[in-house]
This record gives sequence, structure tokens and C-alpha cells, in this order.
Amino acid sequence: MSIAIEFSHIRKSYGDTVIIPDLNLQVEKGEFVTIVGSSGCGKTTALKMINGLYEPTSGDIFVNGENIKNIDMINLRRSIGYAIQGSVLFPNMTVEENISYVPSLWNKNDKEKTKKAVDKWMEVIGLDSSMKDRYPSELSGGQQQRVGIARALAASPDILLMDEPFGAVDAITREQLQNELKSLHKKTGITILFVTHDIEEALKLGTKVLVMDKGEIEQYAKPCDIVRNPATDFVKKLVEKQRRACSLPDERLMECEYCCANIVS
Amino acid sequence: MLKEIGILVSTKWDFFGKLLIQHIEISIIAVLIAIVLGGIVGIAISEYQKSAKLTLGAINFLYTIPSISMLGFLIPFSGIGNVTAIIALTIYALLPMVRNTYTGMINVDAGILEAAKGMGSTKKQILLRVQIPLAMPVIVSGIRNMVTMTIALTGIASFIGAGGLGVAIYRGITTNNAAMTVTGSLLIAVLALTVDFILGFVEKRMMKHGKEARKQNKLMALTASVLIACVVIAGLIPRKNKNVIHLATKPMTEQYILGEMLKFYIEKDTNITVDITQGVGGGTSNIEPAMESGEFDLYPEYTGTGWNMVLKHTGQYSEEQFDDLQKEYQKELGLTWDVMFGFNNTYGIAIKKDIAEENNIKTYSDLQKLNGQLILGAEYDFFERQDGFDMLCKTYDLKFASTSDMDMGLKYQAINSGKIDIMPVNTTDGQLAQADVVLLEDDKAMYPSYQAGMVVREDILKEYPEIHEALQKFDRLISESDIQRMNYEVETEKKEPKDVAMTFLLEKGLLE
Repeated sequence: MSIAIEFSHIRKSYGDTVIIPDLNLQVEKGEFVTIVGSSGCGKTTALKMINGLYEPTSGDIFVNGENIKNIDMINLRRSIGYAIQGSVLFPNMTVEENISYVPSLWNKNDKEKTKKAVDKWMEVIGLDSSMKDRYPSELSGGQQQRVGIARALAASPDILLMDEPFGAVDAITREQLQNELKSLHKKTGITILFVTHDIEEALKLGTKVLVMDKGEIEQYAKPCDIVRNPATDFVKKLVEKQRRACSLPDERLMECEYCCANIVS
Repeated sequence: MLKEIGILVSTKWDFFGKLLIQHIEISIIAVLIAIVLGGIVGIAISEYQKSAKLTLGAINFLYTIPSISMLGFLIPFSGIGNVTAIIALTIYALLPMVRNTYTGMINVDAGILEAAKGMGSTKKQILLRVQIPLAMPVIVSGIRNMVTMTIALTGIASFIGAGGLGVAIYRGITTNNAAMTVTGSLLIAVLALTVDFILGFVEKRMMKHGKEARKQNKLMALTASVLIACVVIAGLIPRKNKNVIHLATKPMTEQYILGEMLKFYIEKDTNITVDITQGVGGGTSNIEPAMESGEFDLYPEYTGTGWNMVLKHTGQYSEEQFDDLQKEYQKELGLTWDVMFGFNNTYGIAIKKDIAEENNIKTYSDLQKLNGQLILGAEYDFFERQDGFDMLCKTYDLKFASTSDMDMGLKYQAINSGKIDIMPVNTTDGQLAQADVVLLEDDKAMYPSYQAGMVVREDILKEYPEIHEALQKFDRLISESDIQRMNYEVETEKKEPKDVAMTFLLEKGLLE
């Protein structure tokens, strides 16, 4: 498998405050990587360095093998989907205009193609086409997040960056959206980096989970391994609840089919 | 008063209508420039925030300059008339425009802007497609305030010879015609309210979503733009035709009458059109520079004023020095005293009647009795002129309790209402007959002669010798009692300066 995203000796600091001391990571194509950690651990910073919203203090980032320092930032961003927390749809645009925002940055004239892409992604994400002309303020929180995802996917990117996209929706909608995102990943096979502070969400969605603390990688492994073999005390504490889905003692935890079965699919 | 206004509006609708259109033109041009300029500045400083504080501070400073002084500062650079008015109005309109644009721009949710950036929008795309549309409601409400303010402020523009409804206000004040002042003010208020209503409607429409509403908005925006473009283009088309000369008058009733008289007679006697700017604020100090720069071609002036204020001689002027005056005007300024009207409008000092009687004050020297106790009110020319306030104080060793600057026309209202006790007057003032004052005797013969005459640019006389011919008909034509009577007719009997002028021309046989 080839590498979609690579961090090489990435350091990020603001003056004397070091956010990320030295980050090295390779994300393979097609992975669904969830990045989890307490707030301020550098997970969002790491994510935003991929599409150049933040610039690393030193080190290199490679996207599809190319150092992003050598790529036109505008083109790079357009080829990477980006969905973020909260209601960040453009309130002055309809659902249709929101979804077709990135394609419209690309191909101004090919309206037919854009329209088709909008229809397709609305369907994929489970939005009724009658909502096309609505404005974000007329949508529910869950619908807004769906539009946000459709907007991130509309230009058919092969990498999707998501920063706590479900942070502001209720538990039921969140569950639905999680399931839809998971099946979407399976269908499209695109590489997803998904930042969350919720370990349950991280374990459920990710094919790989990246646990970060104070800007450093605590563990980067399959969800199953994270639960079974926490690499550090920090990770162990983090997944304590998941490890205790059954009442087996530590040394027999491997034998429990639930502890991993309900996570790995 | 209401009835008077009604009659005034219905009988002089073409006068007010013309002023209203001028008012709209001047305001719209200033507003459009301010929207574009202020919008650009507002957006620029929201992008380069470091410069925001300094820029807003500078614009704030400009905003605090009183409008009258702003116009005064601008006259040396842009002259008299609409251009200066538009520049001044634009400067005032900038602050609300820049500030609202800036506020609107920086208050757009940072998350939304980051989302737009993260999705690969260029800076321009973020601005045009996201940030500016989202800042629009704040910007529009700023425009709304700014437009109302500009329409009101345009009333000041006539002070420097620009058109607009301020002309009516100013003329009303100068000729003691309250109905005209009120009508001008009311029309400005009605115009401001109407425009504010229209903009409120626009604001509401902009909030409306939906395809149908958008289509309608587009249509309405298009119609409005075409209308505005028409008005602006009409306003910008230079109205300079051949055979047009520019006549200015000071804000004095007798000059309004002289202006009408001369315009009518020159136009009748020659095929020259006279473009007249009545009642230029500030009088000589604003008209004379405009004569030298060629914006005005002729205006009625007084010899003593020319000697002391224009030529800046310190000594007292008497008519024996007329040849020197004429020589210096021709040599240094390219202007000539082409005709003398025949009346002397010299300065006098008038004091409230009851004060004069109580204290038995008859001459300037008698004022010693109340030295330092009286309140003097005068137009600001009086404090600036060499033969004005300072000379009065020096010659008669006088002091006053306080002094206040006021417009020539407001002086009489001030003395009648007891706000001032004493004031300099022109000996031709029609309002003298009406006011409760006594004219004092200049017992030390302090005041020089102020013969009224026509100052004309020599260039224009070379180009149109027929003007000289026409003007000679006015040589020694108007006596002091003539001009006092005409002033009285306008100021007290509320006749139109034009009608008074016509009657006089008829009497003198210059008109059949």
C-alpha cells in the first residue's frame, strides 16, 4: 500500500510554547484514521497542517508522496476534502450552493457537471433533494452536518480531513452520522483523517487510531490493539472503559470477544 | 407659517424643484464615492489589521473637523462650488462607511472563513463569495446612516456656492425670509426620510431568501442602478457652454438684488448667458480667490473692502485713492473696477435702542460709558478685516464683555431677542428700519468709504467687450436711498429679489 500522508519531523511552536515537538507518521491510502486526545494535545494542529492552514515550524509533510511545500496551496486544498465542527456552512448560500462551493471554485462553466455532483452527494449523504434551495438556518443540526460532509466530498477528493464534525449534534443523530460515514468510507475507499476527543467515537470509526498527548504520539494502532495492548499509561487510562466492557481480569482480556468485536468490524 | 410655506412651495416650485434635484445629485455623487472609497478602505484595513487603528483614527479626526472649517480648508485647493462640496461631503461620509465595513468584515465568523480557506478558496474568492456577502447587512446599515447624514449635511454646501436646498435656507436667513428657510429645511428632512425609507426597504429585501425573491431583487437593483446612473451622469455633464459668464454675489440682500438686476440686463442686452451663484458664504474671502482662479468672472464689491481686505493695505481708504486701487487691481490681480453703482455701503455701529436711551449714547465715543459691559455680535469678516473689530477697539479705546461670530442675517434676530447689545451694520441694511436699534455717529471718522462697484476679470472684458457696454448703464444709477428701499422691500415686505430688481430697472427705463 502506498502512503497518502506522511509527517516527517514536524515541529510546531508558538514562541516558547511547543505544541508538537517532533511528529513522525505515515498514513496509508484508504485508511480511516481517527486522531484522539485531550484538547490542546495538538491533534487539530496536526490536521490543519496537512492542508496548509497552519504552517509547521520545521519538518516536512508529504501528500501522495509530494512535499506540500512544493505544491500550490490552493490546488492542494481543493483536492482535499475539509469538514469542521459546528455550523460553518456559508449562511448566505443555499444547500446546493454550499455543496457545489468547491466544484464551483474549479469549473465555473461546467454547471451541468456540478449539478450532477451535488445530486450524487446529497443522495449519498442522505439529504432529500427538496432541500436544495434551503438556507443553512432552515436546517436542523444533523442536516447541517450532512451538508457539511457533502460539501467536503463534492469535488471527489481522495483525502478527507474532518475536525470533530459531529461535535455539535445530539447523540442519536451522531450515531446515524457515524454509521453513514463509516459506510461511505467503505464505499469510496478514500483516506480519512478524523479528529475527535471522544475515544468511543475514535475506536468505533477508525481503521487505525492515533492517540496523541502533548503533541506526541502515544500509540498508532488498530482499535483492537489499542484496547488490548495500550502502549502507555495514558492510552490505558483512555480506554479503561472500553477495556471494561466485560468483567474478565487483565490477563484474560484477550479472550473476550466483546471487547474487540464490538469495535472492529 | 404653514400657509406661507404652502404658498411658497406652490408658487416657486421650479425654484425648489431645481434645488431639490441639485441636492440629490450632490448627495448621490458624494455617497457613491464614499461607498466605493470607504468600502475599499474598510475591506483593506480588515485585511491588514495593523493599519486599522491608524486609519480609523485619521478618518475619525477628519470627521471631527467642523463642516464650515472643512469647507474653508478645501477652498484653496478645489475652489468654490459643487466639487468642493462633494469632496467635503465624501470626507464626512467616509467614517461611517469605513467603520461599518470594517466592523462587518471582522465580525464574520472566523470558523466560516477558515472553512472557506481550507476548501481551497483564493483570497479573492473568500472576500467576494463569503466575507463581503456576510458583512453586507452591517455595511448596508452603515450606508443607510451615512446617506441620511450626507443629505442633511449637503444643506451646508451652499455656503461655498454649491447648489442644493441649502441655497434656500441660506437665502432665507440672509434676506430675513423665515418661510423660505423652513421650507428648505423641511424639504431636506423629507428627502432624507424618503431615502431612508427606500434604503430600509432595500435592507429588508436583501434579507429575503429564495429564488423568486432573488430574481426580483436583481430586477429592482438593475432599475435602481440605471436611475442612479442617469442622475449621476446628468450631474456630471459639464454645463459650461460658450458665451457663459459666472457672476457671484455675497450673502447680502442688496447683492442678491444687484445680481438679479445685472443678470437680467446683461442677458437682455447681449447674447451672453449669466450663470449666477447667489450668496457665496464668507463673501469676499471666498469669492475673490475664485475670481483670480477664473471660477467667477464678476461680482459686486466695495472699494474699502478691496483696499483693506484684498490688497491688504493698512491705511484708511478714501475715494481719492481710487486710481491707486484700480491700478493695483489691474496690475496685481488682473481685475478691474468696471462700473461704480453710486451708493456707499459703509459700516456703522448700531446699539439696542433702550440701552442707547438709558445711557444717552449717541456717538462711538459715548460707548466709553459702558466700556467692557456690552456684548458685540458680528459676522466673522468683521473680526478678520483690518478695518473691523480691532480698529474699532483701538480708535475708540473700547472693550466688550464678549463677542460672538454670527452670520450677517442672524445678527438682527440676535439683537432683537437681546442676545447681543451692539453690532456693526451696513448703512444700506433694510432691516435697520425694522430693528429696535440706534445708529451711532462715527465721531472720529474711523470708517473708510465703501463705494459699491463691479469687479470684473479683465480677460472676460477682452473676450466680451459688450459686457463693459452693458455695465456702463449702471454707472451711478443706484443711490443709497434706492438700495435701502430695495433691501427693505425684500427683507421686510418679503418681495422676491428678482421682482424688486425688475421694478427698479423699469423705473430707470432700462426695461420696458
